[in-house]
Amino acid sequence: MNRKTAPEFKQAESLALIFPEKIELENGVELFWMKDVKDESVKLDIEWFAGSKYQTKKLVANFTNKLLLSGNGKRSAKTISAEIDFYGGYVQDELDKDHGSVTLYGLKENFKKIFEIYSTAMMNCEFPKKEFEEERTIALSKFKIDAEKVKYLCQRKFNECIFGENHPYGKVANEDDFLNLKREDLKAFYTQFYLGTKPVLFLVGNVDDDVIEDLRTWSKKLTNKRVDFKKQKLVSKVGRTEILKLDAIQTAIRIGRIAVDKDHKDYFGLQLLDTILGGYFGSRLMANIREDKGYTYGIGSGIAVLEDSSYFFISTEVGKEVKEATLKEIYFELDKLKTELIPEEELTRVKNYMLGEFLRHSDGPTAMMESFKNIWFNKLKETYYSDFIAAIHRISAKELRAIANNYFVHKNMVEIVVG
Amino acid sequence: MITFEKFKLANGLTVLFHQDKTTPIAVVNILYNVGARDESEDKTGFAHLFEHLMFGGSKNIESFDGPLQSAGGECNAFTNNDITNYYVTLPVQNLETAFWLESDRMLELAFTPKSLDVQRSVVIEEFKQRYLNQPYGDVWLLLRPLIYKTHPYKWATIGKNIEHIEQATMDNVRDFFYKFYCPDNAVIVVGGNTNFETVQNLAEKWFGDIPARGKNNRQIPEEPKQTEERELMVERDVPSDAIYMAYRMGHRMTAEHYIGDLASDILSRGKASRFHDQLISEKKLFSSVSAYITGGWEDGLFVISGNLNAGVSFETAKQEVWKELMVMADTTLDKDELTKVKNKFKTGKVFSEQSLMNRVMNIAFFEMMNQLDEINGELEKYDAVDAKDIQDFAKKTFVKTNLSTLMIKGKIKENK
Repeated sequence: MNRKTAPEFKQAESLALIFPEKIELENGVELFWMKDVKDESVKLDIEWFAGSKYQTKKLVANFTNKLLLSGNGKRSAKTISAEIDFYGGYVQDELDKDHGSVTLYGLKENFKKIFEIYSTAMMNCEFPKKEFEEERTIALSKFKIDAEKVKYLCQRKFNECIFGENHPYGKVANEDDFLNLKREDLKAFYTQFYLGTKPVLFLVGNVDDDVIEDLRTWSKKLTNKRVDFKKQKLVSKVGRTEILKLDAIQTAIRIGRIAVDKDHKDYFGLQLLDTILGGYFGSRLMANIREDKGYTYGIGSGIAVLEDSSYFFISTEVGKEVKEATLKEIYFELDKLKTELIPEEELTRVKNYMLGEFLRHSDGPTAMMESFKNIWFNKLKETYYSDFIAAIHRISAKELRAIANNYFVHKNMVEIVVG
Repeated sequence: MITFEKFKLANGLTVLFHQDKTTPIAVVNILYNVGARDESEDKTGFAHLFEHLMFGGSKNIESFDGPLQSAGGECNAFTNNDITNYYVTLPVQNLETAFWLESDRMLELAFTPKSLDVQRSVVIEEFKQRYLNQPYGDVWLLLRPLIYKTHPYKWATIGKNIEHIEQATMDNVRDFFYKFYCPDNAVIVVGGNTNFETVQNLAEKWFGDIPARGKNNRQIPEEPKQTEERELMVERDVPSDAIYMAYRMGHRMTAEHYIGDLASDILSRGKASRFHDQLISEKKLFSSVSAYITGGWEDGLFVISGNLNAGVSFETAKQEVWKELMVMADTTLDKDELTKVKNKFKTGKVFSEQSLMNRVMNIAFFEMMNQLDEINGELEKYDAVDAKDIQDFAKKTFVKTNLSTLMIKGKIKENK
């Protein structure tokens, strides 16, 4: 029994991505529908271009999104919630810098009812004082707890420094901002964005035509408009910014810089390089700083892409006493990628891993819808994923070294250390 | 309906196969019958430390992760008080790679000093990151020994304290491996677009020659019934006071598990729940409060945890929580309230079963609990719960002599 030799294996083959059907509803609202679902599940994602970058006062976008079902004089938040619950529905709200969204989950048999309750409540929201004050208390309490976490503080400071503290992507809220928030702010934002602009809909589920008709009826009440957003100049504060937290026993570290968009010629190469550096368990950073030195429970890197910008980052939490040693090793790994070619064995291994990851992320209609959303929101070519696969196969160690030299320049990095 | 086929090797390894033709990915899950409950009180945190060591190389294979990544695969594992679970996902055409890797580390670990040294440090960092350096991070390190006086559930999986992990030796580690990591103490479940014959052949080929080393026939005496109310208050550097109330209840496979689960949903799931409505909205006592069950395999807990609003005393918080629990014990449940939580459960179940990994893991858990026949009976069990069951459960469970309370007093001063 020869246990020393690995069994033969094949590189993961690409999967043909299935795109959803596009349906034009009223007022320019687009619905993308993945109908071929084998069970009774229904998932409806409604996304507005109403992210935090659009707000003129801190926290407004966030609170508006969270309180869309806070009700009015006739139907309270509690009633609305109880009814959606009764039909086995789940409502999840989400906000990032570019979008405000709501996702409804339910089973086919009750989805019509769930959507009816949701849409009626959402279109007639008055942000009652009681619910507003309650949300403020809850959010402020959570904020105070988060503010004790080194990782949270580190992330905030990083955003401030990468984009600039006055940039829409870089602004962060403080305790005072919670206290200064007013109901009128939410109502204005709601009217302008949630009632006054058109969302985009992503539906995964084998629903009947009557549900589509209900979506169409609802879209008649919306507005065929999107708010123009002027991109603001960003100014990164490079170099080290340190926040001391004397009672912490770990230090949070974030290092990064502005990167490129998904349709940039370097993007796939940077993605592959990022994976090698810190994007999977066997990465350079993990192998060195966790598996060799034992400095941390986890370290990784990534590329975050937003509508108006993107950035590359490395993040970790390490024992306080090894803070400087960790930083030294991080820069050591960045430098190594600039000077030495990645060995063929490692490059092949990572490529194979990424192809397997791609399969995992294309598995089933829900996953495929997420892939489609990526293409739609980032205005990418329909061939994006086959281009990605081709690039992964093609990119050489030399090309990666060149990309490293371009992007991993110390003096261009923002370095945040908290703890 | 989760389907499966089962067989057993001569060395005692139980092998199950769940077919799924709709996915290109296969899952191989190995569940070992060992958890924190099998540790001795002076050597805690071992089951979890050991889980880390399982990735440090085996007898014939220097690296577990490397060859798996080359085959397009991903892996992870977790440990709790009851079990240790390992899983691999990879393209189905590379299924044999998973069998090769998992069987070699069941056969024998590499036991290198370097691996032990590094993973000791990593686990210590994990201890700090998740339990010591987070607000309210050490709650369960304090609450467990309050509830359990004799049973091994009295210590957390991460370990009672860091010193036990710091002092772990190579001999300790070797003993642990040979005692618990063997075919007759494990269940392997394969899911994906292949067939039973292929799985049988691979299992026989790779696991067949691993010797049986003895099933873990643990005989842990039950924790005696609690007969007095218990309380502990500590100070911590946190912004708000917090309270944790734990009641003893039936374990994972008792009828109480299902009743308790629905009861906890009625109390705290969603904005229309009783806790949210009364304790957060109306009385403004908490900024967050939730009820949940732990589902331990040997003993269960019904837990209520919440962060108090500024100015609210622990006495008031406790009293008001009690009021709600007594309402549940003394009044008949509204039919709609029960339908609501059952419908939410139904929806959640459908979404959860979309994941091949979830299905495979559930098969492993049910087999390990000797309840494989019950795996498709979950929905029925939840559906069978009626209003009287909830009321009886509340009457029995929510009594002072069955309660342990931990209060965290916050030391951080507010900036006014």
